[in-house]
Amino acid sequence: MVGGGVTGAGVARDLSLRGLSVLLLDKGDWGAGTTGSSSWMIHGGPRYLEFDWDTTRLSCLDAGHIVTIARNLVYRVVFIIPVLPHDRNNIERMETAMEVYDRFQPLKHAHPHRRLTAAEALQAEPGLTPDLIGAVTMEEWGVDPHRLVFANVQDAVAHGARALNHTRVTELIRDGGKVIGVRYHADGAISEARARVVVNATGPWSPKVGAMAGVAVQLRPAKGIHLVYPHRISNFSISAESIDGRDLLMVAHAGFTLLGTTDDDFYGDLDSVDVLEDEVEYLLQGFERVFPTIRNYRPVRTTTGVRPTLFKWRRYEDELSRRYEVIDHSRQGADGFITIAGGKLSMYRLMAEETSDAVCRKLGHQAPCTTATSPLPGNESDAEPAVELAARCGIPALAVLRLQSRHGSNAEKVLDEAGTSRILCRCEPITEAELVHASRHEHVRTLADAFRRVGIAAGPCAGAACIIRSAEVIGRELGWSATQKFDAARDFVRGSWLGRAPVLNHAGWAQEELAQGVMRGLTRNDGTR
Amino acid sequence: MARADSLAKLAWAYGLHVARRRISRPRSQLAELFETYRPDGIRALGPAERERHPRLATCINCGLCALAAGRLGKTRLPDLATSYMRLYARLSDASSDLEGDDPDFAAATSVCPVGLPLDEVAAAVRRISLR
Repeated sequence: MVGGGVTGAGVARDLSLRGLSVLLLDKGDWGAGTTGSSSWMIHGGPRYLEFDWDTTRLSCLDAGHIVTIARNLVYRVVFIIPVLPHDRNNIERMETAMEVYDRFQPLKHAHPHRRLTAAEALQAEPGLTPDLIGAVTMEEWGVDPHRLVFANVQDAVAHGARALNHTRVTELIRDGGKVIGVRYHADGAISEARARVVVNATGPWSPKVGAMAGVAVQLRPAKGIHLVYPHRISNFSISAESIDGRDLLMVAHAGFTLLGTTDDDFYGDLDSVDVLEDEVEYLLQGFERVFPTIRNYRPVRTTTGVRPTLFKWRRYEDELSRRYEVIDHSRQGADGFITIAGGKLSMYRLMAEETSDAVCRKLGHQAPCTTATSPLPGNESDAEPAVELAARCGIPALAVLRLQSRHGSNAEKVLDEAGTSRILCRCEPITEAELVHASRHEHVRTLADAFRRVGIAAGPCAGAACIIRSAEVIGRELGWSATQKFDAARDFVRGSWLGRAPVLNHAGWAQEELAQGVMRGLTRNDGTR
Repeated sequence: MARADSLAKLAWAYGLHVARRRISRPRSQLAELFETYRPDGIRALGPAERERHPRLATCINCGLCALAAGRLGKTRLPDLATSYMRLYARLSDASSDLEGDDPDFAAATSVCPVGLPLDEVAAAVRRISLR
C-alpha cells in the first residue's frame, strides 16, 4: 500500500482483516495530506441528489457503517440552512431537497430535517442575519479524520500489517510487464519490499506514483482551504452561499469551527500549497451575509489541501463528481498495480472494500470484507463515565472527555502509560500521559505528528503554552538531543506560521506577539536561530 | 441519464411538496428540534450570550489571571477561558470540574491584556454546564 491517507489506511486494514500480508507506506504522516484538510465530516452528500441518487444512497449507507464502527470519533453536526431573499434556491425547493434526503438519513442513523420560520431560526441560532426568510435543518456527522486514519492503521497493525510513516517510495520495482514491489527511503537508507500487488492510494499524488509504473492516472486536482476558529462560534453549523453561488459551510465541531471551502483547479506543487488572502476574503464575504459577526472572531490558522477529483473536461470545479474509480493497470502493461482514485472521506470504507476486493481477485484470495461491522480500536466496549475515570486518575473530567473522544474505551490504558496526571496542553486539554503514549505507540516522529495524533497546539494559543514542553516529552521518549528538541520545536513553529499568517487580525496579532515572546528564538524566519 | 432521472424525481418531489403545503397547516418544529438534539448539547448560547460571545472568546492563554486570582473550584482561570469556554457540547459531563468557590474575578480581569470579562465567562460556562 502506497499512501497513508484514510483510503490507504482503510485498504491496509481491510486486507489485514482478510488475512493478507500488508506493508503500508507514507512519505509523510498518516492523514497529513488531503484527509487531514477535509471538513471533518462524514456526510451523505445531499448535493448528489441533483446528479445521481445512488451516490447519495451509497454515501449514506457507508457513513452509517463508519458511525457504527467508530462511535468515539463521531458526533452529530446539525446544520441550519438559512434561505435569504434572492438565494438560488427558495425555501420550498430547499425543503423539497431535505425531504428527499430524509429518505436516506436513517441509513446513517441521522434524524429528519426540520423547517423553521425566520423567527424560529433566529431563536435557535441568534447569530444569523435578521434578513432571512426561513430555514431548514440537516444532520450530518463530524469526525476527527486524523484519529480515523490512525485507528485504521492501528487496527491493520494489530492484524499483522507493517506500517511506516515518513517513508518515501522512490521507485516501483518492475519485471517486464509486472510491478513486483517498491523501493523506499526510510531512516537514511534505501530498502526494498516485494509484493504480488502494489496499490496506489496516494490521492492527488496518484499520477506521480502511477508514472513510476509507466502508467497514466488522470485527475483534475482541486484546491480547497478552510479557516479554523479555535471556538465553537455558533450553536448549529450553518450553510451559506458564496458570491458565485457555491455552497459554503461553517461547521461547528466539538471545540472549534471550520469555515470553508474553496474549490479551484490546482496546477502547482502538491507539497507546497499556500493559502491566499483572496481565498480567505472570499469565504468571509460569503459568511458575513448570513452570520454578520463572523469578522469579530479570531481565526487561528488555515488548512489547505488538494482533492483527487476524477478528470472531467469542461465542467466547473464545483460540479465535478466526488465518485471514485478502482483502476487495474494490467491492461496498460503494469500487472499487479492498482490505483484507487477520486472519492471522499465519507465513503473511504467502501472505497477500501472495493479496492481490497480487486486485490483479492488478483491474488485468488477468497475472504469476505468485515470492516463494516468490526469496531475500530477503542470501540469494542462502552467507555467508562468520564467523572469516575477523572476522579480515579486525578485529572479534570473535561480532559477525560477529550481523551475518550480519541481513544474510546482504551482511555484508561493511555493514562496508565506514564506515571503523571500532568496536563500538558491546557487549551484542549491534553495529558502528558497521552503524548507519551503517542510517542511510544502511535508513530509520532515530529511535533506536527503529535498535533495530528493528540491535538497539541490546536487551541486558541496555537502552541505558545505547550510546544516547548511537548518537544521535551517527545524528545525524551525518542532519545532526542537538546538540539534536536529545539529544532523540532522550531520546525513546528515555522510550519504552522505558514497556515496562520493569512488570517491574523487584530486579536490574532496580540496572540502572535505573546507566542513570539514565549518562543523567543524559534520564530525568526531568516534562517538563523 | 442518471442526471435526467435525478432531476425528474426531484421535480416530482417538488410538486408533491408544494401540494402538501397547500392543503396542510404548517406547525412549529422548533420545540422538536431542541428536544431532538438536547442530548448532544447543541443549543448552548441564548441571544444575550450570542451578542457577548465574540468578547468572551478572546483569551490568548497568557496565564496572567492565574497569577492574579485563584481557581474556580478546581479549575484554573485560563483553562476556564480557553478549554471550557470552547467545548459547549460536553460541559454537562464535566460540571464537577466547576464546583467550588469563586476567585477574585475583578483582580483577574484587571490584569488581562485583552480585557476578557472573566466573571461573564464563568457565568456562561456554569450555565451551559448545568443544562
